[in-house]
Amino acid sequence: MRTTIIVLEKDLRIAWRDKAGWLSSLIFSAILIFIYAFAFDLAGTNSEPLLPGILWTTFLFSGIITCNQSFQQESVTGTLDAMIASPISQTSIFFGKFFCNLISLSIIQFMIIVLGTIMFQVNLINIEVILAIFLGTIGFVSLVTLLSAFEYRERFRAVLLPVIELPLLIPLLLAGVQASSSALEISNTSSPWLIFLGIFSLWGFLGSILLFPLVNEK
Amino acid sequence: MNFIKITIFKLNYSVFLPLWNSRWIVLPVMTSIFIMAMIIGSVLAAPREVIEGDVQRLMYIHVPSAIISYFAFGITAVSSAIFLINGKMRWDAIARASAGVGVLLTIFVLSTGAIWGKPIWGIYWTWDARLTSTLVLLLIYCSYLLVRNLGNANDTKAARYASIVGLIGYLDIPLIHFSVDWWRTLHPQRIVFDIRPSLPTEMLIVLAIAFLAIFLLVLWLILLSATTEYLHQQIGKLSGDLEQMEN
Amino acid sequence: MDNALEFMFAGFAVFWAGLFVYLLILQQRIRSLNDQILVLRERLKGITSNDNSE
Repeated sequence: MRTTIIVLEKDLRIAWRDKAGWLSSLIFSAILIFIYAFAFDLAGTNSEPLLPGILWTTFLFSGIITCNQSFQQESVTGTLDAMIASPISQTSIFFGKFFCNLISLSIIQFMIIVLGTIMFQVNLINIEVILAIFLGTIGFVSLVTLLSAFEYRERFRAVLLPVIELPLLIPLLLAGVQASSSALEISNTSSPWLIFLGIFSLWGFLGSILLFPLVNEK
Repeated sequence: MNFIKITIFKLNYSVFLPLWNSRWIVLPVMTSIFIMAMIIGSVLAAPREVIEGDVQRLMYIHVPSAIISYFAFGITAVSSAIFLINGKMRWDAIARASAGVGVLLTIFVLSTGAIWGKPIWGIYWTWDARLTSTLVLLLIYCSYLLVRNLGNANDTKAARYASIVGLIGYLDIPLIHFSVDWWRTLHPQRIVFDIRPSLPTEMLIVLAIAFLAIFLLVLWLILLSATTEYLHQQIGKLSGDLEQMEN
Repeated sequence: MDNALEFMFAGFAVFWAGLFVYLLILQQRIRSLNDQILVLRERLKGITSNDNSE
């Protein structure tokens, strides 16, 4: 527990000092929303049916970039090897990274929701939507933290990580979009999407905890 | 307890070991017999379907490939898990070989599905729940092969990363199925490729033969690929040993 | 549905072509294995002849 907090503090401090990292994730997610607005012509037309999809794809892409950053920085400076060789348990490292990524991504999601509410005149600050986002983010962040721990050479990393992560996250995307749709009363679905989100997150979380120690062996 | 151990030992000795030793003869022979039977069955012996016509004969490739691809990826997942536990590279060889064959089968499923769909429904792709799930599966195991190929045959790091992807990917399958299925029920769609339970017996027999044929073919291909991969590993090691001797 | 026959042939062709391509890939790997063994043999010869001359 203590070691988790140490790792978490370290990562938060690094993120605070080196603002370029999370700032660019933040700006990237805002830019994505603008891109969608232009690409799908959301100014005039009824943008509501498209909103859940826009929200969740923005979460996915900015989330992958954000979660990638902490490990990328570490492997460049060589501190990842140092951490693995240290007596800190791998699980503590995982939890530290997990919570740091969760916090960063939650800040970004909050900003996106506020931006979306203002721009598209739809009240996204809705308890069910936030519950869906929260549930989904747990599973998302745990899986992406696990997969970002792979050490790749720099030139492969940027493209390879989304290629590995996105197909595995398709159930999450589907469930998130449908759960948000029915929360915003855009569509009527009888399938228990929120429960599915919970199950996916539980599965992702447990799987990541179990497999993380195996990624980088001492 | 002892009785069980003795029975397993006897089984190993009298059934599994001889079978394993003769695999290079038994498998090719059995595979060719069944593949020939499948060809004759699917093209000639099976009756022509009333509504869909001759295109329906693609079912004898489409359906067995779909089911056996799950089997192949299952082998990948189990071998990956065993590799992660004991670190022996031969399990990575098996996992990698099965993934390659599984990807081949998935490509068969998707292409025969598209080709079957075109004359029947007029379009190649219908976002049918099963085809879509198969596409996601293809993407996952293509990324498995991508990750594994980042290193050479003896690269334990790439093998470990790939094993994690292969294991998680397989465990993701039920979740993918449910989500895609529920997603498709929002948009009522043509149910294209169901095995209608009222298939005549001749078709069922040919389907069973095709299933066996493709199963044996897959076993043989996995064996060939895994052995090749394993030999690559051994040669890599020998090369390393030689280098040490030279220095 | 007479043109459906073309599609049936296309489907079977995909199956056989796919198998063929896979076997070609396997064959390529086996040939590279062979080449590596030849290289190893040469190196081994080099070492043993060095040992003999020493």
